[in-house]
Amino acid sequence: MITIQNLTKVFRTEEVETSALSGISLEIKKGDFLTIMGPSGCGKSTLLNIIGLLDSADGGSYKLLDQEMIVLKEKGRAIVRKENIGFIFQNFNLIDELSVYDNIELPLLYNNVKASDRKQKIEALAEKLNISHRLKHYPQQLSGGQQQRVAVARALVNDPKIILADEPTGNLDSKNGNEVMELLTDLHAKGATILMVTHSDYDASFSQRTIHMKDGVIFSERLNQRNVDVFMDAK
Amino acid sequence: MIFNWFKIFIYHLKQNKLFSFLNVLGLSIGIAGVIFAILYWNNENSYDQWNPEKENVYQILNKFGDNAEIWNSSPVPFGLTCKATIPEIESITFYTGWYSEDVIKHKNQKWIGKKIIVADFDFFDSFPFPILKGAKKDILKEKNSVAISDETAKLIFKNEDPIGKIITKDNKPYVVKSVYKNMRPSSVEPEYVFGGLISEEDIKQWGNFSYTLMIKTKKGVNKETVLKKMQHVNFVNRIVKEAKKEGVTPEQFIKENGNIIVIMDQIATARLHGTKSPNGANFPEGRGDLQLLYIMVGLSVLILILSLVNYINLATASAIKRAKEVGVRKIVGASKKQIIAQFIFETAIIVVLAILFALAIVELSLPYYNNFLKKSLTMNGGEFYLQLIFIFGLVIIFAGIFPAIYISNFETLKVLKGNFSRSKSGIWIRNSMLIFQFGIAAFFIIGALIVNSQVSYMMNKDLGFSGDQVIRVPFRYSDQSKKGKKYLTAKQEILKFSGVQNVSTFAGSFGNGSTSSSGLTYNGVFVQPRNIEMDYGFLDMMKIKIVKGRDLSPKYASDTIDNWLVNETLAKKIGLKNPINTVLTSGWGNEKGIMKFKIVGVVKDFHITGLQNEVPPMIFISMKTLKWNNFENVYIKVSPNNLTETLAKLKTYWEKNINPDYPFDYEFVNKGFAKTYEEQVKQKDLFFILNLVVIIIAVFGLFALASFSMERRLKEIAIRKTLGAETDILLKELSKQYVGFCLIGFVIGIIPAYILLQKWLEDFAFRINVSVIPFGIALVSLLVLTLIIVLAKAYQVTKIDILKYLKYE
Repeated sequence: MITIQNLTKVFRTEEVETSALSGISLEIKKGDFLTIMGPSGCGKSTLLNIIGLLDSADGGSYKLLDQEMIVLKEKGRAIVRKENIGFIFQNFNLIDELSVYDNIELPLLYNNVKASDRKQKIEALAEKLNISHRLKHYPQQLSGGQQQRVAVARALVNDPKIILADEPTGNLDSKNGNEVMELLTDLHAKGATILMVTHSDYDASFSQRTIHMKDGVIFSERLNQRNVDVFMDAK
Repeated sequence: MIFNWFKIFIYHLKQNKLFSFLNVLGLSIGIAGVIFAILYWNNENSYDQWNPEKENVYQILNKFGDNAEIWNSSPVPFGLTCKATIPEIESITFYTGWYSEDVIKHKNQKWIGKKIIVADFDFFDSFPFPILKGAKKDILKEKNSVAISDETAKLIFKNEDPIGKIITKDNKPYVVKSVYKNMRPSSVEPEYVFGGLISEEDIKQWGNFSYTLMIKTKKGVNKETVLKKMQHVNFVNRIVKEAKKEGVTPEQFIKENGNIIVIMDQIATARLHGTKSPNGANFPEGRGDLQLLYIMVGLSVLILILSLVNYINLATASAIKRAKEVGVRKIVGASKKQIIAQFIFETAIIVVLAILFALAIVELSLPYYNNFLKKSLTMNGGEFYLQLIFIFGLVIIFAGIFPAIYISNFETLKVLKGNFSRSKSGIWIRNSMLIFQFGIAAFFIIGALIVNSQVSYMMNKDLGFSGDQVIRVPFRYSDQSKKGKKYLTAKQEILKFSGVQNVSTFAGSFGNGSTSSSGLTYNGVFVQPRNIEMDYGFLDMMKIKIVKGRDLSPKYASDTIDNWLVNETLAKKIGLKNPINTVLTSGWGNEKGIMKFKIVGVVKDFHITGLQNEVPPMIFISMKTLKWNNFENVYIKVSPNNLTETLAKLKTYWEKNINPDYPFDYEFVNKGFAKTYEEQVKQKDLFFILNLVVIIIAVFGLFALASFSMERRLKEIAIRKTLGAETDILLKELSKQYVGFCLIGFVIGIIPAYILLQKWLEDFAFRINVSVIPFGIALVSLLVLTLIIVLAKAYQVTKIDILKYLKYE
């Protein structure tokens, strides 16, 4: 689904050049659940942003669904993005001025989905994510975990090919964090492709594969064994 | 999608109730100003547009030499010769250039007929009012015919058929031949058009400029061709003949007596762009005040720009609050175009609200505006609504597009990472707009101050006469030849009234000038002095001084035969060092030939017309010398005690002895003269009101912008405070840039203010000089205003809770 070869990204200010990504190569197949880990400033967020078509690379190749993304202008990236990618952020990024329903509806609006289909889709998804009773509320009235579930719903409503999650549990306590991770695992089990950035080894353990980055390069990659944390469950 | 946009819009509207309200209010004031200007503009530009012949009908004016004396009247033989010899002219008409009032009688009833026109030849060719009843052609052929408007017909004849009925004017019977529909607005909107204007004598007199000539040319005729031919008629029939009489060449004659230049004003544009004559308007309905119109349009556009700038400034400043929303929308798939569309949509809603608000403002204040312009404007007509839609579009484009593009360019990544609120993008644009606002405010303050001081200069200027306690009473007496005698009798009787101190008269009125003027030549210099026929003691009563020689007096028999007075201007114009005893040849003749007069005194210049005009050359002559009796008013000096009683006595006397048909009417001379600067007083008031509006909008804009930009610096302020900054240092830090903007804006504002007000002042022969003072006052008041607003806000900001802002983010 995603093939990245020798990707580079350099940040320039007036005096210094910082190489954020220096020659990243990576492949993500359909149905993969991949985690990127690494210390602050290792380039993991930059990589995620480039994969999410929010940022552009300076060199190398990035193919999404066999289509070269590096050459696309912002307008083209926006179109590919809205059709294929769903985002989940650390700070949820819900629009406070809109209700839960309206927030989830947004991607459908921008993809020109019919009103009747929209309602059906949102209600089905809310049911699945257990937020049906919250549809009329505003984000500020929800707990952190509920907010993140709304954000997940918004990321999923458009049936994206890949879900990008940027530290999805970063702003949540462990109980809510766990719920969100289980939700992602569940989605993966049903066939979703997920790419996640996290600091937490525990969160990473939910995924199939973990990539470790440092100073703009990938220095290790390993397959995860799904550990069931007895102590967590016991709590 | 629209529904989603609307929800967000409503949310923000509710969140910022005050700012939203002020924003809409600011815009609606700007739009209301433009609506006012448009209503005025439409009205002034619609004069005579109903007239299907407007392209072919011309008013003929005559300009006398270099004297810049322009009359809207022409001699009758000139018009007739033109009609007979110039094939391009289809028809002509002569009419009294002004409305008159007269008593109209029908059977046993009487009315004071107003807006009466007396005309001859084809009046209804030049002013083709639709004929509703009666004859459509040759309406004024018989000298005793009259056409009346439908309103008048209804007033006099109720439901009867007026055609063929008799009405009397001045006790002479006229037969109603036609009823026409009055079309408005029009340069002439008569209620009555009487025939029989021209007498046998008029046809012979080439020097008698009494009636206004209108010509209607054939379709598609070139104006210049006709003008040349008319000029030629003038040359052949007047100049050549007169020159022959005097035995000089025509060129010599023109050099000595000045030429008469014919001017043609097309009626389609005459109202606003017609020739300006110093004697006032050329048409009975007056002339359009083009200057006031331009001022209105210019200032209202400025205010609209100001409110637009305000809107843009606030929209971009508060866009920070929308940054996250825009970022999220972009992530979930919104394109730039969709973001732009959303924000233009919001502007559109605001503009709709603002226009509704503006319409309400206009509707409520229209009566005052109409009073101010002396018009009866209403908001309707297809044209008006089209213009409204045009404004709507224009405002959306100017107010909406810039903020929308600005917002749509937010970088998604920066926004979502949350370090966007300190971004400096767009600041320079906002600051330059703020400077621009200061410029406009400076312009308005300076303008108002200068207009104000010119008006107060006009109100306080020594006019050369004293009208205190003097009233002007119209003296209407039908028998012109006995008018003088009647006046003298009345004078003796009125003087006996206890409250009456003095009575006199002259042929003219203060503010409007004199009724008569004749040219004369001395030492080869041609002048066109005003003829002032007056009663003895008139100058003394009005406290007009004699600088050389003496006043005319009944003691000298020759004062009623060949003595006269001149004013200083006349003496200077013809270069008289020692004017006393100089004999001048007048423009008049009697059975003994051309009359000559000796100067026995020089009158100090006084203002007989408004301060826009120079004092004209004048000659003063006793009313017993020529017995023209062309005075129209009696001037009565009354005692301030028991004024009501005195006026009541005068009223009784007037209605019993002078003219029983007219109600008694009077006006204080000072009040009458004040009408000459009525326009300027209006402009002063206009400037004052607009100034308030501008300052309110600008102050609000400054406050809002200062609030936004200071609130973004809260973290900086918190850090500074932690490091030990004291309040006054912080205040200085926060407000210094605004003082800078204020100064730059002021410098930008003074240049157009100086140029435009110099131009405005050019219209006045007597005017103030632009001094530094209004600029100084404007600068200081602008600075004080800025400091008050900014310091108030800055003080509030420095009182923040440090901890809250250091923990934030």
